Amino acid sequence: MSKQPSQTIGTDESTRSSNSLLSVSDLCTYFQTDEGVVKAVDGVSFDVQSGETVAIVGESGSGKTVTSESITRLFKSPPGFIPEGSIEFDGEEVNDMTVEELRTLRGGRVSHIFQNPQGALNPVYTIGWQLREAIELHQEVTKKEANEKAIELLTQVGIPEASARLGDYPHQLSGGMKQRVMIAIALACEPDLLIADEPTTALDVTIQAQILKLLKSLQEERDMAILFITHDLGVVAEVADRVVVMYAGKVMERGPVMEIFETPSHPYTRALLECLPSKGNLGGIPGSLPSPIDPPDGCRFASRCVFAQDECLEGPQPPAYEAGTADHVVSCIHYEPGGNPDIVLKSDATVSALDVDQMGVGGENR
Amino acid sequence: MSVDTDPTTQSANVRKDADSVTFEDVNWDEIDGTARGFTRTRIAWYAIMGTYLLALLNDLFNRFAEGAYQRTVAFITDTSRYQVETPGFIPGAGPAEYPLVGEIGGVTWLWSLTLLVGVFYVAIPLYQNQRMTAYYWREFKKNKAAVISLIYLAIIFAIGLTVPRFMDPPEVEPVLAYQPPVWGSVRETVPIQCVGPVSGGECHGSWAHPFGTTHQGKDILISIVYGMEISMQVGLIGMFLTILIATTVGLTAAYFGGYVDEILFRYVDIQITFPTFFLYLLVVYLVGGSLFVMIIIFGVLGWGGIARIVRSEALQRREEEYIMAAKNAGAGGLWTMRRHLLPNVSNSVITAATLVIPGLILAEAALAFLGLGDPRLPSWGETIADGRSDLDRAWWISTIPGVFLFMTILAFNFLGDALRDALDPRQGGGE
Amino acid sequence: MKWYIFKRLLWAGVATMVVLTITFVLMYLTPDTRIMELEFQAAQSGTDPEQARQAAETARGMDQAFHIQYIDFMQNMLSFNWGWSDSRSEPVIDALASAIPYSMMYGVPAVIISTIIGIVIGLYSAVNQYTRGDYVATFVAFFGISIPNFWFAIILLVIFGTWLGWVDLLFDTQASKIDGEWALRAIVSWENVKQLILPMFVLMTASVASMMRYTRAEALEYVESDFIKTAKAKGVSERTIVAKHIFRPASIPIATILVGDILGIVFVGSYLIEVVFGIPGLGYLSFDAIMSQDTALVFGTVFVPVFVAIIGNLAQDIAYVILDPRIKYGDR
Ligand SMILES: Nc1ncnc2c1ncn2[C@@H]1O[C@H](COP(=O)(O)OP(=O)(O)OP(=O)(O)O)[C@@H](O)[C@H]1O
Ligand code: SF4
Ligand SMILES: [Mg+2]
Repeated sequence: MSKQPSQTIGTDESTRSSNSLLSVSDLCTYFQTDEGVVKAVDGVSFDVQSGETVAIVGESGSGKTVTSESITRLFKSPPGFIPEGSIEFDGEEVNDMTVEELRTLRGGRVSHIFQNPQGALNPVYTIGWQLREAIELHQEVTKKEANEKAIELLTQVGIPEASARLGDYPHQLSGGMKQRVMIAIALACEPDLLIADEPTTALDVTIQAQILKLLKSLQEERDMAILFITHDLGVVAEVADRVVVMYAGKVMERGPVMEIFETPSHPYTRALLECLPSKGNLGGIPGSLPSPIDPPDGCRFASRCVFAQDECLEGPQPPAYEAGTADHVVSCIHYEPGGNPDIVLKSDATVSALDVDQMGVGGENR
Repeated sequence: MSVDTDPTTQSANVRKDADSVTFEDVNWDEIDGTARGFTRTRIAWYAIMGTYLLALLNDLFNRFAEGAYQRTVAFITDTSRYQVETPGFIPGAGPAEYPLVGEIGGVTWLWSLTLLVGVFYVAIPLYQNQRMTAYYWREFKKNKAAVISLIYLAIIFAIGLTVPRFMDPPEVEPVLAYQPPVWGSVRETVPIQCVGPVSGGECHGSWAHPFGTTHQGKDILISIVYGMEISMQVGLIGMFLTILIATTVGLTAAYFGGYVDEILFRYVDIQITFPTFFLYLLVVYLVGGSLFVMIIIFGVLGWGGIARIVRSEALQRREEEYIMAAKNAGAGGLWTMRRHLLPNVSNSVITAATLVIPGLILAEAALAFLGLGDPRLPSWGETIADGRSDLDRAWWISTIPGVFLFMTILAFNFLGDALRDALDPRQGGGE
Repeated sequence: MKWYIFKRLLWAGVATMVVLTITFVLMYLTPDTRIMELEFQAAQSGTDPEQARQAAETARGMDQAFHIQYIDFMQNMLSFNWGWSDSRSEPVIDALASAIPYSMMYGVPAVIISTIIGIVIGLYSAVNQYTRGDYVATFVAFFGISIPNFWFAIILLVIFGTWLGWVDLLFDTQASKIDGEWALRAIVSWENVKQLILPMFVLMTASVASMMRYTRAEALEYVESDFIKTAKAKGVSERTIVAKHIFRPASIPIATILVGDILGIVFVGSYLIEVVFGIPGLGYLSFDAIMSQDTALVFGTVFVPVFVAIIGNLAQDIAYVILDPRIKYGDR
């Protein structure tokens, strides 16, 4: 494992098949603010194949939501804009799409569900109205057909007595029920890709499990790809085929779920796994995210990394080096061709070994 | 299972930092000095308030000891400044004559109180807490319109406060009627006698009366300068009274709850339903429209909305632990309100109160325009009304004072908006 | 819901009674200037002023006990017997009835037009927050809120009347009538409309501005909300999002300001505007009454906006319950 052929590329095309359902390369999404340009997503690449589940993980503020919303350009614009990068959906460049084309894509082939079901439904319309709206936007149906379809969808997502609930307003439903309705809306037009941004975070644990089960069974029925965003590694292990680990607007590590859990290669991924409650470290990773406006040179994780070296503080973020298989890439200098990954892989040093004082610096002086 | 490490991101840190320097935290201790013993500011404050009260009592006693009715009228209409003899004025003890300032009327008493409170509760705390002031100033400075407004208002305030002290009020001088402003001209036949140069059958304005004169020959510039003080008095005294009543009522209701709350705010409900302008109109019509009466009416009838804000803000905080702790420690009701509830609501009150000022200035102008004000006072509304029947002959009489009125209201509106953004981040942004 | 509406109605009734009572007390306490006038006249002509006063008080029922006067007053008020206008020598109600159409003639269209314009600009501003269009709209709104409308009216009269001569300085009260009778044909005639354009414009500046500011603030609450994101993600078009997803929820609080603030602005605005333009509507009538110290008529003209405000408040609260599905007042 010590020396493997590696690629030093930003866009790392060779590791990715061109016939992916979704292919994101070098995506940057910035926000113009009074304080400066917030680089929320700063060069992110990954693919999603049809029918598979890809999970994006990372701590709060690392840019997961912005990444997912960039796919169909849902983020607020202005202030948001995409200065560079490409998003190809089914071979078509989304960035070049007209507003009209984008609208057909949204809710048609790519659907979203959001973190907080409480606010995601319009409070002044019945859920029937909101479902029918989604159906009628992308399909030629009569009102009656739309109604039937709405009932069918609600039944599919496990809402009992669906026909009686069509006239309910969102405030009459529980949080779990609302999320089911959201899923029904997302499924209304048989999407090829479902983007689920922390769909269970706002729900309590038993409901979380139910919603996850529901999503999995719906995915199997429909052969639909899911881009699953979460900061919960437990959920990742349950649902994902492949994982993208994000930190401060960059991808730190990307690979099949098994490899990520068995041989976590990036120091950040290792720290994340170390912080699972089962491992006993409840304090989290000391320090905090670097400024998204004026990110430091070198590796974004350097201020919190136990393996950081001088060269980690210079130049751009290290490119995506292969770690083991071609599908598993890591953005860390130790995986550079000729580098020694064992420094990381064989090390016992974990977050628990971090000197808090030393590490805290990055987080405090901002 | 969460891998969240530190949700406190950078921006949250900044905000937190900023939160810790707010208006309230800092200045209250220094002013009342409860925690630190007597500060110099506090001693000065008590000394000045003591002198003020003694002087006021002396004045009231002198007035009411004898010839009560006329003297009350004199107090209310504040005749001293305009040297108008109240008919049938009974000689007797008379209002007190003070060194330097002479006789003092009701408005002047209120005005000086307002200014004193302004100095001790706004200017000095801002000066003493430079860090906080600098922070607010940075926030405030972002709003260009507000900065210009502040400068404009400061000028109006300064002129209004000083110039009338050594300049005589506008005088009626019929021969000088209808002089055009310095940059304008008018048919020679309009003024009785043209002060400026006459050429081609046109009377041109002169620097003797830069803004021209009214049909009575009153100088408009002098009227406007006097109007500055009147508008500032209306706005600031009105705001002071409004804040005083609104916070008292709001805090009382919030602190005691129950029936006290119910009764007070049922009353507020009714008061708010009543369209304020017509209330002012009716009362001024019945009671008479001296400036003193108007200001009192504005103060006494317009506080409902702010009282609601105070109450809801205070209610949110009442349950908070430190109040509980204070209560348990045996603190009295008044003390708790003063020390704990009041500071916490002051930001939203300041914002709301600033936005009350333009309404009051406008109301005074409108009432004066309708002829309900004191005809002797050269307020802006009065001067606008003066020129109303002369629109075809002398357009400048109504228009020029209106420019000042408009700009002043606009400036206060901009200022209020900026204060809301600077002091009250929760409500900011959108509005 | 029924129970809530009932309670609300009851409260409106109480408010009315309170307002009337306060008015009565005010009237009772303040000296009647007409009686003072009579006394003065009596003194001048050598008769006993005291006698003259008593005679006048008896004639007006003012020698009665307080509570009898009070009950009389309340009965009269509630039966729309609002007294006699001395200056116009007709019942107050009649004077009001002949004035109100003049106010409505330009007030109603002004309210409708300014509501529509205000909402449209407000929504535009909210959706395009911090763009140049938004800044311009906001600045204009500040202008509209701040400009004293009686002064603005004067300026416009100076410009369009005195200087350009496009409109007459005097209002033609007969332009809206045919043979002394109100007629729609005359109201919409160019001659009549022409003289109403300026008053309507002035009246609309303030109400468009407040409507716009308020709509913007309310719409902004929703522009960034999650459900707008949901709608966007569904593929709903920008325009439909504004019309259905933002405006519909925002319309609930907007309806509130419509009856509350806008009505107030329009009443106050029209009062002063009528005085400037000489339109013989409610405001001018009131102004006249003040000038001629006709207390009964002053009260009558002030009651109209007060009662409209009370009813407006009632209507607004009820509209809230009906429009907002989230509010469910216990229907026990
Ligand atoms: N509209 C915006 N304007 C300015 N900055 C923004 C905007 N939206 C997001 N950001 C910034 O982008 C960064 C990434 O935010 P994002 O919401 O994508 O994080 P996240 O990984 O989804 O976090 P969480 O787990 O809390 O949802 C943050 O620093 C955030 O402040
Ligand atoms: S590049 Fe350096 S700082 Fe970044 S993760 Fe690797 S060792 Fe740590
Ligand atoms: Mg997120």
